[in-house]
Amino acid sequence: MSTHTQVSTHTQAGAAFLSVRDLKVHFSTEDGVVRAVDGLSFELERGRTLGIVGESGSGKSVTNLAILGLHDRGRTALDGEVLLDGKELLTATERELERLRGNKMSMIFQDALASLSPYHTVGAQIGETYRKHTGASRREARARAVEMLRRVGIPQPDVRVDDYPHQFSGGMRQRAMIAMALVCDPELLIADEPTTALDVTVQAQIMDLLRDLQQEFGTAIIFITHDLGVISRIADDVLVMYGGRCVEKGGRAEVLRAPLHPYTLGLLGSMPSLDGPVDVPLSPIPGTPPSLLTPPQGCRFHPRCAFAEKVGGGLCGSNRPLLEPSEGHSERHAAACHLTPEQRREYFADYAAARVN
Amino acid sequence: MFRFIARRTLSALLILLVISAITFVLFYVAPRDPARAACGKVCTPQTLALVRHNLGIDDPLPVQYWHWLVGVFAGRDYQGLGHCSAPCLGYSFTNHEPVLGLITDRFPTTLSLSLGSTVVFVAFGVGTGMLAAVKQGRALDKIASSASLVGSSLQIYIVGVVAMYYLSDEWHILPRPQDSAGFTQDPAAWFKGLLLPWLVLALIFTANYTRMTRSQLVETLNEDYVRTARAKGLTRRTVFFRFAWRGAMGPIVTILGLDLGYLLGGAIITEETFGLHGIGALSIKAVRDNDLPLLLGVVLVAAAAIVVANIVVDAVYALIDPRIRLA
Amino acid sequence: MSLSRRNFVIATSVAAGGSMVLSACSSGGGGDTAGSGSSAGTTKYSAVTIGTKDDSTGPAPEVAGAKKGGTIHAIGPDDFSHLDPQRIYYSWNSTVANLYVRCLTGYKIAPGGSMKLVGDLATDTGTMSDGGKTWTFTLKDGLKWEDGSELTVDDVRHGIERGFASFTTEGATYVQTWLTGSTDFRSVYKGPYGGKHLDSIVTDTAKKTITFHLKTPRGDLNWALAMHSYGAVPVKHDTKEKYDKDPVSAGPYRIKQHSVDKSMTLVRNTHWDPKTDAIRTAYPDSFTFEFGPEGLQATDRLIADSGTDQYAVMAYSGVPAERIQKVISTPDLKSRTANGLLTGLYYYAINCKRVTDLRVRQALNYAWPLEQIRKIYGGPSAGDYATTILSPDIAGRVKYDAYGKLTKPQGDTAKAKALLKEAGKLGQKIVYTYPQGASDAYDKTKVVIANALKEAGFDPVVKPVESTSYYDQIQQIDNQFDVMWFGWSPDWPAAYTLIQPLFDGTTIANGANNVSQLNVKWVNSAIKKDAAITDTVKSEAAWAALDKEIMQKEAPIIPETYQRRFYLYGTKVGGAEFDPLFSAFILYKLYAKS
Repeated sequence: MSTHTQVSTHTQAGAAFLSVRDLKVHFSTEDGVVRAVDGLSFELERGRTLGIVGESGSGKSVTNLAILGLHDRGRTALDGEVLLDGKELLTATERELERLRGNKMSMIFQDALASLSPYHTVGAQIGETYRKHTGASRREARARAVEMLRRVGIPQPDVRVDDYPHQFSGGMRQRAMIAMALVCDPELLIADEPTTALDVTVQAQIMDLLRDLQQEFGTAIIFITHDLGVISRIADDVLVMYGGRCVEKGGRAEVLRAPLHPYTLGLLGSMPSLDGPVDVPLSPIPGTPPSLLTPPQGCRFHPRCAFAEKVGGGLCGSNRPLLEPSEGHSERHAAACHLTPEQRREYFADYAAARVN
Repeated sequence: MFRFIARRTLSALLILLVISAITFVLFYVAPRDPARAACGKVCTPQTLALVRHNLGIDDPLPVQYWHWLVGVFAGRDYQGLGHCSAPCLGYSFTNHEPVLGLITDRFPTTLSLSLGSTVVFVAFGVGTGMLAAVKQGRALDKIASSASLVGSSLQIYIVGVVAMYYLSDEWHILPRPQDSAGFTQDPAAWFKGLLLPWLVLALIFTANYTRMTRSQLVETLNEDYVRTARAKGLTRRTVFFRFAWRGAMGPIVTILGLDLGYLLGGAIITEETFGLHGIGALSIKAVRDNDLPLLLGVVLVAAAAIVVANIVVDAVYALIDPRIRLA
Repeated sequence: MSLSRRNFVIATSVAAGGSMVLSACSSGGGGDTAGSGSSAGTTKYSAVTIGTKDDSTGPAPEVAGAKKGGTIHAIGPDDFSHLDPQRIYYSWNSTVANLYVRCLTGYKIAPGGSMKLVGDLATDTGTMSDGGKTWTFTLKDGLKWEDGSELTVDDVRHGIERGFASFTTEGATYVQTWLTGSTDFRSVYKGPYGGKHLDSIVTDTAKKTITFHLKTPRGDLNWALAMHSYGAVPVKHDTKEKYDKDPVSAGPYRIKQHSVDKSMTLVRNTHWDPKTDAIRTAYPDSFTFEFGPEGLQATDRLIADSGTDQYAVMAYSGVPAERIQKVISTPDLKSRTANGLLTGLYYYAINCKRVTDLRVRQALNYAWPLEQIRKIYGGPSAGDYATTILSPDIAGRVKYDAYGKLTKPQGDTAKAKALLKEAGKLGQKIVYTYPQGASDAYDKTKVVIANALKEAGFDPVVKPVESTSYYDQIQQIDNQFDVMWFGWSPDWPAAYTLIQPLFDGTTIANGANNVSQLNVKWVNSAIKKDAAITDTVKSEAAWAALDKEIMQKEAPIIPETYQRRFYLYGTKVGGAEFDPLFSAFILYKLYAKS
């Protein structure tokens, strides 16, 4: 089981800011071992945004919790390597991680209402992170919180700083969450579906905000979503996960325009396109995500794959496809699929035309 | 906050008024005559009428209730026993002691018993509950969880008697429960006299708090905001106390308030078991002796304890959780 | 009502036989052997006689081996309900009243329990004249109150006159009734507070005499006057209603401290002169009472015998059924008990108004399963089977067994059935009631009772009544019960105080004690006639005959048991003796061992 097909997310391979190599996250449960992430590798540079796409349970959130060390240590076995600016995180002590979290690396969670403490004011929650990492005084922390709220576009920040999360609207809460994540000018920002619960207008505002902030501070962003539409707007690079593994990765345009993996193709088919023809029917991928307790042999997608029988010799059900570039595509666009380039060209053609711009 | 207290106090008074009226009516609905106890062995109709008059129960019920209310708010004169100044809860039918005096005499015992055991069972219950929640699934958690199951199925009138028999009488480990002159008079005697009841009462309550603390914490530890707090780089300790525990506190405080209210209203079985003279023992006496003024007194104390506990719980809950608003 | 209302709750942990009989005075009599031979405790009933002037002269005989000093601790579940002598009727109040209340007469109890009626404040038991209508008593010299002032005949009269006051409704009413000739005596005289004295009592301060002029002849006034309800009260220190809180002592101890329902301390009354008292000794320096612990707790403490509990006694609540076996089968514990029969009779009253056929009432008597009932109470140690109305300690009582209860204590259901058949009442419904919540025992006895009645051809219906309203309900004349659990104890050891209140048809009223509602002419007139006999011997014989006749010809009750009570005392307590009057320890005979 080796996937050392090292594909850089950037053309100039080398000193990546974040480097994840062959990451495995296994949970032990009463029913057995859940292989939530099973050999994942990627790299990310400063100022770039990596979009991680996948259905729920594909391992995208788990990957990022593992990077921050927020997994349940008692029940989780980690393997592989996570280097942040050259520092190995998987073997770091809790204390070292605490120093990094919220400081050098921080995270924005999906549901801001649930993710913000209902018992503390927004200002206190933002200031708390600041005080922890800078040793600032209470007053300084408050001033910083007001400043952050202003920066993320909260009106009257000096007043709202003393409000509780429940007094904020959904969009404002998400902004507050972002303000909290950015309060120490993190170099790595992990945004876990930060816009999912929001309406489209607010969604767009939040993404603009993230982009602006990235430009200002050069933050590296991992943007997790199951929505390719969102990815198409924000990501520089895209990583598609399925069943705890990466099935395809590459530049945004490449992946979205010319997907190499039937799963990516399926995701694109199940996504309503803003710019595409309105009358094209959505075609969700049939079947359910695989059980990670007893994942399918070979390609984990093969039970749901429409093209599995096109590959001869039952290869999809027995051999794990390697993540590798495809003929006729750029070097850094790779996929893990047994289909030959010819087959892809033949079967995928209609899709590429009809979809993504 | 002020409006909240004002409004709730008013409604509390109303509740107490209604409860006293209901007690009054129920007392007379029961097929028994409080006058009989003071009528001697050979009770002639004339003597019975005299006793009724002496006790003031020969008036129509609304008049009696009115007199009682006037006594509470303005004081009242009693023939032979003199003036009883407001708030006058009347004189006990059986021993002619002022009811308010009896209650104020007994309340410190109940208060000591309740608060003392509360300190013990909150400390132990919440402590072990926290440990169990932190060490989820490990041996300590399992021991604490099963111990709490055993604890919660214990009954004070069994454990209390057994504990007294062995711990005090046979092995002389703990002093026998005893009423003392009170904390202010002789703190050492007070402590010694109540130690065993505290422990036994706590033993039974602890279980509940262990379970509740554990389950609440297990829940809040899995809350998203706790994860967020850790993602911010806060230490486990800070996260546990400032976030998880803060979230778990609400329901625990609610139950604690109600338990305390119940205990302050008179832990009847506990007091009987240990022979302590608190409000609980007084309640038994009131019921047994058909002693209306005393009964009204202890019913009001019990009701007031519950009502006040409810107000306090609501106020404390609002302090803990800003989403709750007092009005 | 004959049993204290309190006893029912007290009895919750005490089971059967643990209930407290109230009686002012009463006691041993007729030197007869107990019918059923109890295995535990005395089988002989003590005699009560009238003592001489010598017997009435102090000091009281020393208790062998006694020494002065120390403190005796008494433990009881409840505080005394009254301390004002005129409000004392219940026996448990009398156990402590013995220490500070003195009456004209009293009972001098010899070791073993035999008693003599002697003069207490009076030099002797009084002089009767005018065919029982006039009685004169002379006070002893040297009688003092606790403040050192002299106890005078006026104080004695004052105590009796207080019995007419509006607030002394709890006390006995015999003497008031005899003095005024009316049961509604308060309409004749309103008590001493209006400045008027009773015409019918004449005092002579110089001669120290007090003379009673009764409206009806009574040969037993001197017995009635021994009740604490007729104790002396100092005119100068009478605080009326408030006297109940702080009575003045004429006895060897005075109340020093009293914390209601918690504790009470009595210390020596230095103005009490032992030479004036033929009844009481006074060895301990003080007595303390601790109120609260139920019988079971008190028993366990006395078994443990640690600390001050070594000097403790059970005040008036006996060893409960749960511990009886342990106590009487452990020699060390048994040696620390005093026991005796309660003065009263437990019985089942048959409602004669509803059960009109004599044969049915007799059938009930035959069928009643005394053996099974007593077994539930705890067996022979719980008491003796009763077959007569008069308890064994009543003067002149003659034993008989009209329904073969001693030969067939388990009940003769065949005979009962035959009687029922003869009466044409087979299948007659019998509504049985008892106080529920008073004792587990009654919940158990109802089963054996119902079984026996079924076997005898009755249709038993059990309708228990909640204990706190039990008496209120069964003492209603139009109640719907046929057989009612009941008990009665006499106020002094004479038949009159048993038979008159229970079977005089003229007393029937709501709340009256004639719960059987027996209203038969010949019984009513016999009671009247016997009560007027002033000759002791003739009187006793007449009552004994009436006892048997009522049971044979009317069968208004089913006698059950004379119950036995066991009390424990600590290892450092000496002089522990069972008081045949008040069914508890005789406090004034106790001493603390060193």
